Amino acid sequence: MATSMHLSRLRNWFLASPPIEFAISRLRELLVGAIRQGPVPQHIAFIMDGNRRFARTHGIETVEGHNLGFEALARVLEVCYRSGVQVVTIYAFSIENFKRSKFEVDALMEMARVKLSQMAQHGEILDRYGAKVRVLGRLDLLRPDVLAAVDRAVDMTKDNGDRVLNICFPYTSRDEITGAIRETVSEYSQPLRSTRSTLPLQRTPFSEDHIAQTIRARTTNGKLDDSSTEVDSVSESSTLAEDDVQRSNQQNDVYQSETPLSSATTLHLAEKAAKNRASETTSETDRPVFRSPETITRQTLTDHLLTRDCPPLDLMIRTSGVERLSDFMLWQCHQNTEIVFLDVLWPEFDLWHFLPVLLGWQRRVSKAKKNPDAEGNFDGEFQESGEESKEELVVSSGLKAKSL
Amino acid sequence: MVSKHDRELLRDNIRSRSSKLSATDRENIVKPYLPDPSELPRWPPQRRKKLPRKKPIRTFLKSQLHLITYTFLHIFFGIAVRLVQSYHAVVDRILAIVYYHHRTPELIRKDVKGLDRLPEHLSVILSLRKEDDALPILMDEVAELVSWTASAGIPVLSVYEKTGALKSCMPILHQAITNKLSSYFGSSQQPTLQLFAPHHPVYQQKSSQNSLVVLLLSATDGQETFVDLTKTLAEMAQNGKLSPEDITMELVDAEISEITTQPSQDRLETGLPSVKPEPDLLLVFGPSLKLDGYPPWHIRLTEMYYTGVNSDGMTGYSDTVEYQGFLRGLWHFAGAQMRFGR
Repeated sequence: MATSMHLSRLRNWFLASPPIEFAISRLRELLVGAIRQGPVPQHIAFIMDGNRRFARTHGIETVEGHNLGFEALARVLEVCYRSGVQVVTIYAFSIENFKRSKFEVDALMEMARVKLSQMAQHGEILDRYGAKVRVLGRLDLLRPDVLAAVDRAVDMTKDNGDRVLNICFPYTSRDEITGAIRETVSEYSQPLRSTRSTLPLQRTPFSEDHIAQTIRARTTNGKLDDSSTEVDSVSESSTLAEDDVQRSNQQNDVYQSETPLSSATTLHLAEKAAKNRASETTSETDRPVFRSPETITRQTLTDHLLTRDCPPLDLMIRTSGVERLSDFMLWQCHQNTEIVFLDVLWPEFDLWHFLPVLLGWQRRVSKAKKNPDAEGNFDGEFQESGEESKEELVVSSGLKAKSL
Repeated sequence: MVSKHDRELLRDNIRSRSSKLSATDRENIVKPYLPDPSELPRWPPQRRKKLPRKKPIRTFLKSQLHLITYTFLHIFFGIAVRLVQSYHAVVDRILAIVYYHHRTPELIRKDVKGLDRLPEHLSVILSLRKEDDALPILMDEVAELVSWTASAGIPVLSVYEKTGALKSCMPILHQAITNKLSSYFGSSQQPTLQLFAPHHPVYQQKSSQNSLVVLLLSATDGQETFVDLTKTLAEMAQNGKLSPEDITMELVDAEISEITTQPSQDRLETGLPSVKPEPDLLLVFGPSLKLDGYPPWHIRLTEMYYTGVNSDGMTGYSDTVEYQGFLRGLWHFAGAQMRFGR
């Protein structure tokens, strides 16, 4: 026990000695510079787990563990931004975390406030080197003084360069998705303003009398005037078709609220348009006009998430060996994100753990580029999975023989 | 990297509640570590003129050095990865020999008996291959998985397959699974099977006490479901039946769970037990952990496990569904620590 303690002290002394420290920092620089040469993930998310367990195993206070975690974060951010990552998203505090002891929650809040307000003191340096800081989550759950610090930090850094640090502060992914749905719904339930005044022409694409006339003409004339009506009806139908196209285009954007959604197939659009018109001319009331809910797509929802202007998530890293997402970035990471669980506590996390992950990612990406139609890339709707990796199928035959 | 001396200074400062060092002191400590302003790409243009581009040869050499390091890093990393992979391949083969199910439920039960806990709801991600006979292979894999799950005593299994090919042939799949189950259990005591998918009717035999629920999922049950829900909600809001404030997490949760994990028929009528919507364990039979469009809502607290490279040079595909992989997932799950966000 005593010898191991002496050894570790000797090791620490050795590592802290100026020449070694210099060499290590040079090495780090070299490695980060090397990483830059390949493809680099554009958006990385971290779940910083293990601060408390680190504190427990090392016999220090929980708050101290969180402070060390913050240092680790600074190290990792340096590596990320220097190697060319655009956006880093960190999971700082979950809404569920409010269930923790009041002492710890207060300490965490205090830490966030102090860090953020310290950051705000270095305005000039931040402008030159800093990333844009954004805080995602339920800000209304924060204490007012913390909220003020958050606001100031976000405000000060909003004009900074293209690097972004997303801090998910009181955040859960379910809450985010719900928020996105809510926002989309409220956006779509806003009536489109002044549609009546600006679109008078769109509201009358067909003339009712004309339709009635053609129908009457077709039924009464029958076979007598065959040739003439045929020409007539052909020209009629062609204009109808044109109108139909035009109408269906509009139908996508402007949509009458009373139209039953289920039956709004494109086949019957022309009839329906006529019907709509008929009902409208009879009632002549100012019904609100909405955007059609049919225009909602996955992209619409993605655009309403808190991470709306970030590139897609490439890599998700969780430390401390817990292998679940804990309500973080569920929507963002569900398509083509590589999820990595590392068995290291967050305060210990450093370049040496990060490097293999990055190298592995680079390897898979460059492989996927070499044969883009590796497995998992199906035709049809979902084509995003181009980077599906075809991992080493080839194990050396000698090994195979041995194994069998 | 900040040197130890400076780090201690900063740490002391934090401990003493940031009274010792002023903002300028901190700046002075940190300054040596910041990159040279001229290296920054986003430097204001008027000042760049004053600073001529310095040392082009040195920058060139530096970038070449980085490039060489990159190459060597990847060469060594590749070798390391191969070594690790071959090690795992050997271990996998040994495991596959030691643990084989021999189509005997008793053996499988013995394999999982020592585990502290078993998932109540197991989920697997499978992928359709490119070969011509991909669908029969996939159905056979599903049937095997169902048999193992039933033998291990896990009541619910959900199978995610991206394209939804499985959903289109549910009667055949049901038949295939039933055949497989009877080959495991014998026709007399095989568990009853309830096979269903969202928006599809249930395929089941008359229910008995030990029944197994199999749920088929595809990519349309993921984000598309949310899109559909949003459409419906938007329509309701437009008709004034609902205000956006009514949309809560509970509402979304209830709706999504209802749609994705309950059969379209009325549950009370068919006598189906309610399915636990959140899987406890997600098994990915593949080389890396990618969700590939898996429905996002319910994997909040799901443990994830991927079997790693299951290299099988003979057959030529990488993600074979093997019993030892299934078993390793269960072992891993039993060893994991369960903590709910606190």
